[in-house]
Amino acid sequence: MACLLLRVLNILIMKSAPGGTIGINDLPQFASKVIIGMRNQLTVSSNTVDNGITRRAVCRLMLWVPFALSLVPATASAHLLNMTEIHLDATQPDNVNLDIDIDLGQSLMTAEEYWSATSSNLTEQAEALRPIASEIKSGLQVKVNGIVVSIELDSWQLTASSLQAIKNPLSPQMAQLFFKLKSPIPADASVELLINDQLEVPWPALLRLDHAASLLPTSRLLTEKERSSRPIFLGEKAESIEGEGFSTNAVLAVQALAPGLTWIALGFQHIIPRGLDHIVFVLGLFFLSTGVRQLILQVSCFTLAHSLTLGLATFGIVSVPASIVEPLIAASIVCIALDNLHSEKIARWRLAMVTLFGLLHGLGFASVLSDLDLPPQDFLSSLLLFNLGVEVGQLTVLAIAFLAVGWMHRWAQYAERVARPATITIAGIGAYWFIKRVSVI
Amino acid sequence: MNKNSAGFTNIKTIVSVAFVAVCVAVFDVAFSALKEPPLTFPIDGRASGTFPSEWIHGSKSAMDNTDPAVQVHAYNDHTFILRENKAINYEGVFMYLFFGNGVAMLIDQGSTSSPALFPLREVVDKIIREWEEQHQQSDIELIVANSHLHGDHYAAWNQFVDRPNTIMVGLTHEEMMAFWGIDNYPQEIVTYDLGGRELVVTGTPGHQGSELAIYDGWTDLLYTGDMFYRGRLYLEDWDAWVASIRKLRRIADRNPVVHLVNNHIEMTAEPGIDYPIGTTWQPNEPPMQMTLEMLDQAVEATYEVNSPGIYIYDDFLIYNQIPWYTTTDL
Repeated sequence: MACLLLRVLNILIMKSAPGGTIGINDLPQFASKVIIGMRNQLTVSSNTVDNGITRRAVCRLMLWVPFALSLVPATASAHLLNMTEIHLDATQPDNVNLDIDIDLGQSLMTAEEYWSATSSNLTEQAEALRPIASEIKSGLQVKVNGIVVSIELDSWQLTASSLQAIKNPLSPQMAQLFFKLKSPIPADASVELLINDQLEVPWPALLRLDHAASLLPTSRLLTEKERSSRPIFLGEKAESIEGEGFSTNAVLAVQALAPGLTWIALGFQHIIPRGLDHIVFVLGLFFLSTGVRQLILQVSCFTLAHSLTLGLATFGIVSVPASIVEPLIAASIVCIALDNLHSEKIARWRLAMVTLFGLLHGLGFASVLSDLDLPPQDFLSSLLLFNLGVEVGQLTVLAIAFLAVGWMHRWAQYAERVARPATITIAGIGAYWFIKRVSVI
Repeated sequence: MNKNSAGFTNIKTIVSVAFVAVCVAVFDVAFSALKEPPLTFPIDGRASGTFPSEWIHGSKSAMDNTDPAVQVHAYNDHTFILRENKAINYEGVFMYLFFGNGVAMLIDQGSTSSPALFPLREVVDKIIREWEEQHQQSDIELIVANSHLHGDHYAAWNQFVDRPNTIMVGLTHEEMMAFWGIDNYPQEIVTYDLGGRELVVTGTPGHQGSELAIYDGWTDLLYTGDMFYRGRLYLEDWDAWVASIRKLRRIADRNPVVHLVNNHIEMTAEPGIDYPIGTTWQPNEPPMQMTLEMLDQAVEATYEVNSPGIYIYDDFLIYNQIPWYTTTDL
């Protein structure tokens, strides 16, 4: 014990150096071994004694001694560190994998057995794991539609840094065991995983279930007292997810396909459904245009303009407060609608007006982008993809408008019965937004 | 069209536009009145709150500890901070219960599963019952969420799975992000409406790859979970942590943050010195809440640290890519 205390003091002095840092390579030589040794009451030899013991170090030691006495119950309760993780992957119903991350040396094997297995060849490992696999197969049950499905150990990964590390509950040395299910899990099945009383694993055990019916996984926590995941209904889960967050699922699908494309999805979302004022503005353009060509011309001017200000604002070159931009966006809706009501065809200056308003709307998008925290390393590409998503959103609005009423534009009464009432509604909404936004300032 | 006719058309148009505007206004006002919540959580100004002068911090003998299993502290009427008794688990984690209209959100569920040892559900239900009585609300919903996915923060998650009127966010990265509406983790910053209480939420990986930080605009508290607290900051991904800390600074630049709150206390009151890992007794603890100056020090650290190792600062230790059980406590 005296040697240990001297060693402790030695470390204290090293730590007390101003701006002291301890490199990773130094750690095994003192800090971790001494502390772990002390907690486990292992013998730790000390070969060096530093004469420069500082007052701070002594004080610290005095502070530490009572703590050391309280460590035994603490280490005994440190089971969360080596908790078990179970991953049931049923994304391919006919090829279902069950992966288990488990601290074998602290549970189903002795530390010595596990250490020996890690340093053995594959054949010897298979032999050592045979009784373990058998124990897991009889103790861990996967029920599909209420029927137990058998599992088979397929492969494994055993790792450990040392026998002492395996023995120490504070340094979990996890093994990975990869099982395969012998039966498929249909997309609409109910699945339950349970661990019976005969099998003791480090608790709690976190279950993650991936399945074909949903892009989102399902999680359950099994504890020593609650050893069943309870039935998980894959079909129901899929339906509820679809109902709750189609948009989220779509984005997750895009993200899984190509992470960069997420920005397109986000841009799209900022038109549909979040960008109501931009939707109304684009509809304002739609109701004056008598042909697709003129409409595309206007939308292109609008797009180029808002891309420009969006870019400038995002780079910090232009900055206009939302309290100014937002009322002006509302005013732009009123202007475009009033112009519709007084024009039979598109005047040249209308394009200039649409371009000007596009600049304004770009500033509005910029405030949204500032909340997205674009990654510095992919700043430009993220910005361009976001912008592309905005354009796709606008074109979708136009496509829906065309499908709803656009096909009637050759009807003699179209202007009077469709375009005019719609435009008056747009103007009214814009006027209300303008008054509301101005009154908020 | 003659002048009179054109004038009449203009007047008709103006009246029509005004009529639509008035209709939209009436609809908007009526709709707002219908959903007018009984409680308001304005983000202008600041809802004040208090911290205890000291937290219950364990005892020399864990076996003889008589403190409650969960310490409950009302920061203010609608914000509760809970701490697991260190004698039950040395992590002594802090958990948070935020209330909005018709809803409460529990962030983290401690380090002990057993309801007999750690009756978190019972404690939370009691707080909710009393809150409902005090604020004339009933059957409010409970959302069970997590700051990140480490077992010492969700061990008692199961105590809530059969609770009526409860949303279990889930214990996978995908479930967490889908709940908050974060499509692009960790960059995206989203606003979550907790019954009229605006929470700004964003990804802050570095300690763990699903970690979130939450800014509560009503109280101006910035919750930083396990990625920044008075203790050993175990970092599995240094670059991610650098980005997260700098992002927290940007959030604090944009918002009037008053305190940084978090999940653990592992530092002693003496600068640069931590309690030993696993201790169940921490006398003379410093406060749990942290200051913006400490955040600034962390930002400075992001420019100073350039390799794996342990780095000692007054109010925290950076364990950059160091196995968590290695320690300099001695």
